[in-house]
Amino acid sequence: MREIVLPGDLISTNPKAAGSGTYVENGKVYSKTLGILDKNENQVRVIPLKGRYTPSLNDVVVGIVREVTSSGWVVNINSPYQAFLPSQENPEVKPNKKLNDILDIGDAIIAKVQNIDPNMRITLTMKDKMCNPIRFGRIIAINPARVPRVIGKKGSMIKLLKSELSVQIVVGKNGLIWLNGDRRKVSIAEEAIYLIEQEAHTEGLTDRIGEFIRRRKSDAGIET
Amino acid sequence: MPESRPEKLIIDGKRLDGRKFDELRPIKIEVDVLKRADGSCYLEMGKNKVVAAVYGPREVHPRHLQDPSKAIIRYRYNMAPFSVEERKRPGPDRRSIEISKVSKEAFEAVIMKELFPRSAIDIFVEVLQADAGSRTACINAASVALVDAGVPMKGILTSVAVAKVDGQLVLDPMKEEDNYGEADMPFAFLIRNSKIESIALIQMDGQMTKEEIKMALELAKKGAMEIYKLQREAIMKRYVTEEGIEVEEVNTDA
Amino acid sequence: MPEDALAEIKRDYVLSKLRDGERIDGRKLDEFRNIEIYPNIITKAEGSALVKLGNTQVVVGIKMQPGEPYPDAPNKGVIITNAELVPLASPTFEPGPPDENSVELARVVDRGIRESEAIDLEKLCIEEGKNVWIIFVDIHAIDDDGNLLDASSIAAISALLNTKVPASRFGLGEDYPLPVRDIPVSVTSLIAGSKYLVDPNKDEMSIGDYTLTISTNQKDYIVAIQKSGGYLLSEELFDELLEVSIRNARKIREIVANKS
Repeated sequence: MREIVLPGDLISTNPKAAGSGTYVENGKVYSKTLGILDKNENQVRVIPLKGRYTPSLNDVVVGIVREVTSSGWVVNINSPYQAFLPSQENPEVKPNKKLNDILDIGDAIIAKVQNIDPNMRITLTMKDKMCNPIRFGRIIAINPARVPRVIGKKGSMIKLLKSELSVQIVVGKNGLIWLNGDRRKVSIAEEAIYLIEQEAHTEGLTDRIGEFIRRRKSDAGIET
Repeated sequence: MPESRPEKLIIDGKRLDGRKFDELRPIKIEVDVLKRADGSCYLEMGKNKVVAAVYGPREVHPRHLQDPSKAIIRYRYNMAPFSVEERKRPGPDRRSIEISKVSKEAFEAVIMKELFPRSAIDIFVEVLQADAGSRTACINAASVALVDAGVPMKGILTSVAVAKVDGQLVLDPMKEEDNYGEADMPFAFLIRNSKIESIALIQMDGQMTKEEIKMALELAKKGAMEIYKLQREAIMKRYVTEEGIEVEEVNTDA
Repeated sequence: MPEDALAEIKRDYVLSKLRDGERIDGRKLDEFRNIEIYPNIITKAEGSALVKLGNTQVVVGIKMQPGEPYPDAPNKGVIITNAELVPLASPTFEPGPPDENSVELARVVDRGIRESEAIDLEKLCIEEGKNVWIIFVDIHAIDDDGNLLDASSIAAISALLNTKVPASRFGLGEDYPLPVRDIPVSVTSLIAGSKYLVDPNKDEMSIGDYTLTISTNQKDYIVAIQKSGGYLLSEELFDELLEVSIRNARKIREIVANKS
């Protein structure tokens, strides 16, 4: 069973091992949040069980345009901070096109966190092959703290979903997930993701999700 | 002294409610009781019944309240009109304003607010039923709600009061002891790794000697450690069942 | 509160001095500023005092009138303490209803008077359960150069010491002096890490609004404590400040007694 720690729990006496979710004081490493202890020889970190999404550099996020300005778009990325996508970071921008014809309020995008200044002013870019405006498919929301589980160890969980269901999936680090493909298969993927979120910290989850998907497919009469 | 004061507050070495001098009232803590809040807690401490909610870190409105270097902490202690015998007029009175201020400051010292510049962390605590020590009950509930919200903190805040009644120091005073005692002294401590690190809140009114103050501090520390264990247990219970399975509700907002 | 560049510079100066155990105005760490008390300056009030604590100035006026007692204390007079931090006293004070700082200030001053039982409230009963004297203690900050709280406490008790109960105005017999039987004194210290500065001035407060106030009565009993500000207090420092506050309060009490 994995150990759950609370803020202030002493988790290491080696400050060099301090990883995410920890803080160091007087050479001791403490947990700074409610989470699961993840400890190996080189590193100790705390994987949060709850909490809002805090952006990090190069995170892929799914965002929704909230405002169009003369120089770009203000984007809600499901965090305490709004992000800004400057017009020059969107490859679809052409001299003769108006910005709100390219992306308007309410449009969804897949973007990457390009810069974070010390005041947590966040700049996005869409100049990456993963990045796209979202014009079809579904967006679902889960607790951002559960995102690592949806991806799985070395992407194992997401690979399972994609191969069993042949749907497109982009998991935003901010807990927003884009799904696209056959309508019935997308529905099964959605159910499976909620199940992962719900049982995020149980053992043998990948196997159980595999079984779940196969059962739902046969219920729906989908070829395996 | 008013007529309703009991002749004695301590009879045969026991308190009016039968407790020993260093004994807490029964405490009940439930974690994650509100759906909309990022973190929440319901807590009973004797006859006090309080519920705490945490929202954030989130955007600050109005914007001019933003601090470019850290999150602002807001704390609202509010008593429901029906929480006391004589109906309390709704809204903040001077007592609530002061309690909110000192409680907020206690949390400011333990929340890692510099991680969230320009944002706000809102802590709302409603007193549904008040006996003595509602501010300490509220801090204990707010502390659990902050952990439940995943807010980064140096440790956990735990609060308890000590009173002096009939010349005797008693832990966690109930209403009669608070009303008719000689002094009341609420504390909150930062507890880290099951150890009391420092004082995050201290107030006192009444009359005590320097020596009594020091004894009151020791008594409060003992009580705080017991409450801390209960806070811890309640959070653990919420996130681990005996089989190690997490039992959180699914978030279905799309 | 908005921080300007000036406060930043002041803070560096205060902290660098403090590292050598010194203060910017040359005082010792546990030393109060000079105290001046001017009693009876408002003749329309029942009692009053202007107090200067260094450059900090506070006026307290006392007004009294008959009124209803609290139901749980039918034979006792009532004290109502109020503080106004008027915009004239500081560039950071704003007009409007009392904010949390003025509410806290008034309540801590009130606690010192009330808990020391400085006023014999039972002597202020006119008719039990119906009519008692209400004492309004109004604190008016004039110039905030730091530690308004202690200046206000000194001004409040000084004003009470020269208060006459206005009995004749209400047809209740001859005027008589308010029965004051103790002199509560508050001592506020600024906490700077493991160090403290007693009676901080405004420039010293640029370190942060981190204070501890300890009020005592003439028997050296502690009658009120208030930790104010988002900081953590060590037990060692708390113990030390108990001693320091009792010591300073004795001196201030003597000054108050002599001036009234």
